[in-house]
Amino acid sequence: MTITNPIEVPKSLVPLPCQLVIFGGTGDLAWRKLLPAVYNLNVEGVLPAHFAVVAFGLPAEGPTQADPDEFMRGRARDGIDRFSRRDLDESHWNDFARSLFFVQGSFNDSRAYAQLKAKLDALDQQFGIPGSRVFYLAVPPQVVRPCVEHLREAGMIHDPSEQAAFTRVIVEKPIGRDLDSAREVIRIVGSAFAESQTYRIDHYLGKETVQNLLVLRFANSIFEPLWNEKHIDHVQITVAEEEGLAQYDPNTGAMLSTRAGYYEGVGALRDMVQNHMLQVLCVVAMEPPWSLAPEVVRDAKVGVLNCLRPLTRDDAEKNVVRGQYIEGEVHGQRVTGYRKEVRKSFEAMNRELPPGSVHSTTETFVALKLFVDNWRWAGVPFYLRTGKRLPKRVSEVAIQFKNVPQVLFNSHPDVPLEPTVLSVRVHPEEGLSMRIASKLPGPKIRIYPVKMEFNYSSSFGNKSPEAYERLILDVMAADATLFMRRDQVDAAWKFVMPILDRWEQVRARDLPEYQCGTWGPVEADRIIEPDGRSWRNL
Amino acid sequence: MNTVAPAKSMPVPLRLVEEELSRQMKALQGDDESPVHRAHMSNLVIFCDEPELAESVADDVPEIVASHPARVLLVIGEPETGSETEGVTASVIVRQMKQGRHERSLSEQVTLHASGSAVNKLAFSVRALLIGDLPINLWWAARQPPPLVGPLLYDLAENAQQIIYDSLGWLEPARAVSATSTWLQQFEQNLPGGRWRVASDLNWRRLKYWRRMIKQALAPGAVAAAMELLVEHGPHAVIQAWELVSWLTSQLGWKAQAGKIEQGLEIAWQFQAPDGPVRVRIRRLPEGPSEILLLRLQCNLAGVPSAVAIRAEDSRRLVAQQEGAGTAPNTLNFQPQPRAELVGRQLSDRERDPVFSASMAVAQELAKSLLD
Repeated sequence: MTITNPIEVPKSLVPLPCQLVIFGGTGDLAWRKLLPAVYNLNVEGVLPAHFAVVAFGLPAEGPTQADPDEFMRGRARDGIDRFSRRDLDESHWNDFARSLFFVQGSFNDSRAYAQLKAKLDALDQQFGIPGSRVFYLAVPPQVVRPCVEHLREAGMIHDPSEQAAFTRVIVEKPIGRDLDSAREVIRIVGSAFAESQTYRIDHYLGKETVQNLLVLRFANSIFEPLWNEKHIDHVQITVAEEEGLAQYDPNTGAMLSTRAGYYEGVGALRDMVQNHMLQVLCVVAMEPPWSLAPEVVRDAKVGVLNCLRPLTRDDAEKNVVRGQYIEGEVHGQRVTGYRKEVRKSFEAMNRELPPGSVHSTTETFVALKLFVDNWRWAGVPFYLRTGKRLPKRVSEVAIQFKNVPQVLFNSHPDVPLEPTVLSVRVHPEEGLSMRIASKLPGPKIRIYPVKMEFNYSSSFGNKSPEAYERLILDVMAADATLFMRRDQVDAAWKFVMPILDRWEQVRARDLPEYQCGTWGPVEADRIIEPDGRSWRNL
Repeated sequence: MNTVAPAKSMPVPLRLVEEELSRQMKALQGDDESPVHRAHMSNLVIFCDEPELAESVADDVPEIVASHPARVLLVIGEPETGSETEGVTASVIVRQMKQGRHERSLSEQVTLHASGSAVNKLAFSVRALLIGDLPINLWWAARQPPPLVGPLLYDLAENAQQIIYDSLGWLEPARAVSATSTWLQQFEQNLPGGRWRVASDLNWRRLKYWRRMIKQALAPGAVAAAMELLVEHGPHAVIQAWELVSWLTSQLGWKAQAGKIEQGLEIAWQFQAPDGPVRVRIRRLPEGPSEILLLRLQCNLAGVPSAVAIRAEDSRRLVAQQEGAGTAPNTLNFQPQPRAELVGRQLSDRERDPVFSASMAVAQELAKSLLD
C-alpha cells in the first residue's frame, strides 16, 4: 500500500527515507569510496532524516569477534580519515556512526540473509523508515547471482510499484567480463528487480565535469553549432593513471593494498574502455535530448553506442594497440613491471598465482581509434587512450577543432598554428580550458597559443563532491539519468567484443611494452600519426 | 612587469611537487583580496650540466618569466661527476611578479638535480611535471653543443617544439659548427603526426643589430668591389663571428673555396664572389667582451683602395664609417641584450628562420673547408 505525505510534494533529487545496504561492506570500494561518500552526504545535510547504513559481508580476515557495528564503525572511520574529501569532524562523525551498522555473513548463506532482514526491520522501527531499501551490490559479478536470489527468497525485494517502501538495487562494474556474461548478470538481476529498480553505476558519470559536458554543450550557444564534423577535427579521450596494481606506503615502500585479484585477466579494455570511456564518449557525442528526463537522456546516449562503427577483424588489428608496463620510474622511484607486481600481489594476498598469470598478457594500456557513424560525426575520429603507470594522473576529453586555412596567420606550412582545443578535465583539477591562438603583445604580429581556464575549485571554492555522493543520492531520489540502462551495457560490450575476440584468437605471448613513467608503447603512435595527428601533451 | 624577491627554494619529494607549488602559491596570496594569477605561456625546461652554471641560469629565470611566463623546470644533470645521487632531487619556488597595484602574477620553478647514472631518470621526472597543452621549450644551457651529447637531449626534448641553445664559448668551433649544422637539418624535419620543432641559437639572435647595420651601411658598389672582409671578435665569440660571415656571404652569393686556421687566432677563407676572389678573415682579439667588435670590408672603388668599417662602440651602439672619406659616421643604437632577455624573446619566437638555415648551410661549408 502506498502512503503519501500530504505536505510534501515529490520532486526530483529529493532522497527519500531508506536504508542503504552495502553488499561487500568490508571491501575496498566501501572503505575507500562508499562510506566516505555517505559520510560527506551526511555532513552536507542532504540525506533523509530517516536513514541508516548497513554493511553486509565478511571481513577478509574472517568473522570479527568484536561488536560487529563497532568493527564497521572503526573501519569506516579509518576510510574517512584516509580518503574523504573533508577532514573527519567529531560531531559529524558521531552523528554518522550512530546510523552505521554491520551484519556479518556470507553471501551464500541464507541464514545471514535472515539476520540481515531482521536487522533491517529493527532499524526501520528504530529510525522510522518505511521499509525502503537501496541494495548496493559492491561485489564481483560471480557473486551477484547468490545475492539476488537470497534477497528474493528472503522476501526483501518489494514490487516496483511500491512507492513508500521501495526497493532499489545498485549494480557495480564490472558487469560481466564479456557480452555473454554481462547479459547473464543483467538477466539475473532482472529476474528479481524491474529495470526501474535497477541502477547500473559508472562513477565517471557522476563526476562534475562529465555532467558539466552536458551543460557546456546545451547551456551555451557558442559550442553546439560547432559540435560536428564540419568544425571538429578529432576528439581525444584520455584516462591516465600513475598507479599500478598496488598501493604502496610512500615512506617504506610496503604494499598497502592491491587490485591484482580483480585486474589480472581483466585488463584496461574491460576495466576502463568498455564502461567509463564509452560512457564519457556518449556524453560528448550524443544528440541534444529533448528533455532531461532520465529515459530521454539515456535514449540519446545509447544512440551514440548504436552508431559506433563496428570493428572488423582488420580494424581490431590496425586501430587498437595494447601494452603492458615494465620496470621504470615514477616520481623518482623505481617501480616494478606488471608481471612482477602481479606475482608480489598474489604473495601478499596469500593466494596462489593462477598458472596463466605467470606469463601474463593482461593489457595495462589500450589506445584505439573509433568512429561514430552518424550525420553529426561522419569521418571524425575519436582516439581513446588509457593506461596504468603513465607519467601522471590525468583524465580529460579534448575536442580539437579544425585548423584555420593556410593563409594570413597560418601561412607557414612547416610550422602550422596550433589548432583550437577545448579540453574538459576530469582529473586532476576538474575544469575546462580552451587553447586559442593569440597575438603576443608588441609591434610585430606573432601568434602564440594561450589557454583560457576554468577551474572548479578556484571558481566555486569548495571541492566538488565525489561522484559516488551524487550517484547514491540519485538512487535515493529515483533519478536514473546518470546510470546505465541495460541496452547501453549491451551495446558497449558489443562494440568491444571484436577486440577481445581478436586478442583471444591471436593469443600473443608478449604485448608491446612501455616503461613505467612513459606515455605508453610507441606502437600507440601508429594509430594516430598516419592520420597526421598526434597524442596530446598532457 | 617586475619580479618580487622570492621565497627560498624548498626541497620536496618528487611526488609532492605539485602540492608544494600550490602551498607556496596560497601562502603568497595571503589575506590580500587582490587577484593573483598563475601565469604560464609554456613549459620551459632548462638543462645545465654543472651546478655553477645552473646558479647563473637560475639568476636569469625571474627576468625570463617576466617577459615569457612559464613553468620552469631547471634540470641539472651531471653524468660525469664522481659522486652519484640516489635519484632525482627536487626543490620548488614560486615567484611573485607584480603587474600593477591591484594585480599580481605568480610563476613557478622546479629544480631537479641528478648525477651519475641517476641522470637517466631526469626525463621521467620532467615528463610528469610538464603542464599539458602548453608548448614545451627546451633551453639547452649546457656548454656542449646539442648534437654532441647523446640521447639525453632527445629524452628531454620529447615533444618539445623549440630547442634554444647558445653557441657562445663552444670549443672546437669547426667541429661544433659542422655537427650542429647537420643536426639542425635533421632536427627541424617535421615529425609524424603533424608535429614540428625548431632550434634557435642565442648567438644568432645577438647578431640582429649587426645584420641590420650591415644591410644599411654596405653600399652595393663597395660590396661588388670587395677584396677582403675582416671580422674581429673578443674571446669566446668565434662562432658568433662565424655565423655573421656565413650570413653575409650567403646573402651576397659568395662561394667558399678553401680555408685554414692560422696560429689559433685567426681563421681565413678564400671566397669566390661574382666579381672576383675575396679573402675573409675572422680574428680573435686577446681581450674584450665576448662579442663581435669590428667588421671591415676592404674594397677597390674605381682603382682607389677604400674600406667600410662597422665597430661596436660599446654594448649599445654600432658605428659605421667609410674610412678616409671624411663623412659623418652612421650609428645604430640599441639596448644591451643580456642572456635572460634573449631567452625570453626567443621563447615567444617559434617561427623557422630560413635566413638562419641558409646561413648555417654556409657555416657548414666553411667548417668542412677547415676539417677536410
